[in-house]
Amino acid sequence: MANSNLPRRIIKETQRLLSEPAPGISASPSEDNMRYFNVMILGPTQSPYEGGVFKLELFLPEEYPMAAPKLGRICLDILKDKWSPALQIRTVLLSIQALLSAPNPDDPLSENIAKHWKSNEAEAVETAKEWTRLYASGA
Amino acid sequence: MDSEDDMHDANDIESLDDDFYSGETEDAPLDYYSDYDDEADDYFEDADESDKIKSRRPEQNFTILRESDIEQRQEDDITRVSTVLYISRVDASILLRHYNWNVSQVHEAWFADEERVRKTVGLLDKPVVEFPNARELTCGICFENYPCSRIESAACGHPYCISCWEGYIGTSINDGPGCLMLRCPDPSCGAAVGQNMISLLASDEDKKKYSRYLLRSYIEDNKKTKWCPAPGCEYAVTFDAGNGNYDVSCLCSYCFCWNCTEEAHRPVDCGTVAKWILKNSAESENMNWILANSKPCPKCKRPIEKNQGCMHMTCTPPCKFEFCWLCLGAWSDHGERTGGFYACNRYEAAKQEGVYDESERRREMAKNSLERYTHYYERWASNQSSRQKALADLHQMQTVHIEKLSDTQCQPESQLKFITEAWLQIVECRRVLKWTYAYGYYLPEHEHAKKQFFEYLQGEAESGLERLHQCAEKELQQYLSADGPSKEFNDFRTKLAGLTSVTRNYFENLVRALENGLSDVDSNGAASSKATSSKNGAGSSKGRGGRGKGTSRINKMTDDSSWSCEHCTYANGASVNTCQMCRQQRR
Ligand SMILES: [Zn+2]
Ligand SMILES: [Zn+2]
Ligand SMILES: [Zn+2]
Ligand SMILES: [Zn+2]
Ligand SMILES: [Zn+2]
Ligand SMILES: [Zn+2]
Ligand SMILES: [Zn+2]
Repeated sequence: MANSNLPRRIIKETQRLLSEPAPGISASPSEDNMRYFNVMILGPTQSPYEGGVFKLELFLPEEYPMAAPKLGRICLDILKDKWSPALQIRTVLLSIQALLSAPNPDDPLSENIAKHWKSNEAEAVETAKEWTRLYASGA
Repeated sequence: MDSEDDMHDANDIESLDDDFYSGETEDAPLDYYSDYDDEADDYFEDADESDKIKSRRPEQNFTILRESDIEQRQEDDITRVSTVLYISRVDASILLRHYNWNVSQVHEAWFADEERVRKTVGLLDKPVVEFPNARELTCGICFENYPCSRIESAACGHPYCISCWEGYIGTSINDGPGCLMLRCPDPSCGAAVGQNMISLLASDEDKKKYSRYLLRSYIEDNKKTKWCPAPGCEYAVTFDAGNGNYDVSCLCSYCFCWNCTEEAHRPVDCGTVAKWILKNSAESENMNWILANSKPCPKCKRPIEKNQGCMHMTCTPPCKFEFCWLCLGAWSDHGERTGGFYACNRYEAAKQEGVYDESERRREMAKNSLERYTHYYERWASNQSSRQKALADLHQMQTVHIEKLSDTQCQPESQLKFITEAWLQIVECRRVLKWTYAYGYYLPEHEHAKKQFFEYLQGEAESGLERLHQCAEKELQQYLSADGPSKEFNDFRTKLAGLTSVTRNYFENLVRALENGLSDVDSNGAASSKATSSKNGAGSSKGRGGRGKGTSRINKMTDDSSWSCEHCTYANGASVNTCQMCRQQRR
């Protein structure tokens, strides 16, 4: 299986993401593919996304960490030409969270998130509840 | 009023005819096409002596560089910077690369603020982190522990294991020339990774690629150098600002414009050439353009492939221009006002306003304008292919015929240079003539007189060139197929050499006239004339369009009233009785 020869680095990153999660961020690997993560980022307080949850799928390509993680249609410089193998999943998710707390209308990422949020409000609220439940039950 | 003007137009063209082409003084037969010392000339009055001489015998303001020349120059520059700033050659190379290989800019910036330069370029003079007593270190990429012998760092000291460095450097080199600007993997660090690290940690193949990029950078980033744009040519050109003549001829025989790197295009300016080329591709490749999944970067023109979902394109380093795939506008211009990032408004707006949905009237107009375009395009293109053919013929002359001709006509090859020269002239004239069609296409319709004058000059050029081309192509044939020397061969030489020189002069003058924007023809449709002391009285009735005092530099090469020399067949103007070519008397 793809998980059998997972690089040490990915294993270490995953362990750390689970044992010391960054506040407001959850990233858990899929059971059948450890390179595939389900990510949820809580809308930061006092931001337009407060109380909401932003759901993402993150995939670590074969070349990771020499190549950046794949994050769907998200348009973020550190996922493109600014990527460095010294960055980590955690750094990437923190960058997204930072953008959520200070949305810049001229930023394509915020634009994308806003659209996503508007179109999936019901789903997002559901997710938020699930999130709260998971978080509260101390995973 | 209108009709009166029209009459003037007609009249003026006639007077131009008389005044500008046939007027010739008999005492200076060889001045027919050029001279610096005749009394004056209205038509080219703006050109001063030195300009004329320059454009006649262009001073070479460029140098062609072979690969070894490039390497030598690059080494020399690195040595200079390294010596003057007292830094390593690796650091000197990084600095130069950063300042686009401009040695004086490097020196200036360094002596103005060394610390700032070091910071922006990433030349650290001491490490940021140090592990003096460590026996093992953790690699910042794979998180494994290694003995210090398996760890390498840039000047900053950030530790990465050798295999992670290899991956990091290999990825970067295979991403393209951005590897020349490689920095320490630590995103907060910025220490430059120079060629010493590359030599230590890259594969042989990657080292070669890196050196190649470094060499290319020396040419491509340097404002004074460019590659010869001819396909397959590996020479570069260095250009010193000069007299405004941008024509460069490479050792590979390709001639191009230094300024826009299109094929040499005098007398048309770079802007017109760009418009024309765009027009040509728009007409023929509209569909391809829309379907393409690669588009030229709007800034550096390199093709950028679209391989991601979003419309936000970032050109590959060193350009890194960020643009919108849909409208090719700068990404920084995009925001909510363009209607959201994935539905770029500038693109949608065009569709909604029905730009692509023409009304009947517009269709008709489009049809007419297409016909007009086709007219010019066909002529442009046919001169182009005629030029290609002439190039092939020239090659054939040089490689086969000259030698053979030298045998049959018992002439040393040095005496046959006139044939090669004729062909070189044909190639050059085809090029000029080709571009006069782009010139004509963009000449404003309402400037009737200019237009007519232009078409007249162009027609003359065309027929003159045809005559030369025919002489070099067809008349030469009989000597090529002859078994032994023919006594007419010397006459043929006189004729072909004469036609070559006449045509060269005519075209040189034509180029200058067009480059001046035919400035002598004013908007009323007459050739303006400061000097109106028309001697021959053939000027227009209102004193406009007078020929002034003397000779025009553009002269008719053929004329209704011309006479054909019995000796050499050269078509002489009506006003001379001595053949301009061979000086035989008219009979
Ligand atoms: Zn490592
Ligand atoms: Zn560093
Ligand atoms: Zn060349
Ligand atoms: Zn040009
Ligand atoms: Zn570019
Ligand atoms: Zn756009
Ligand atoms: Zn003659």
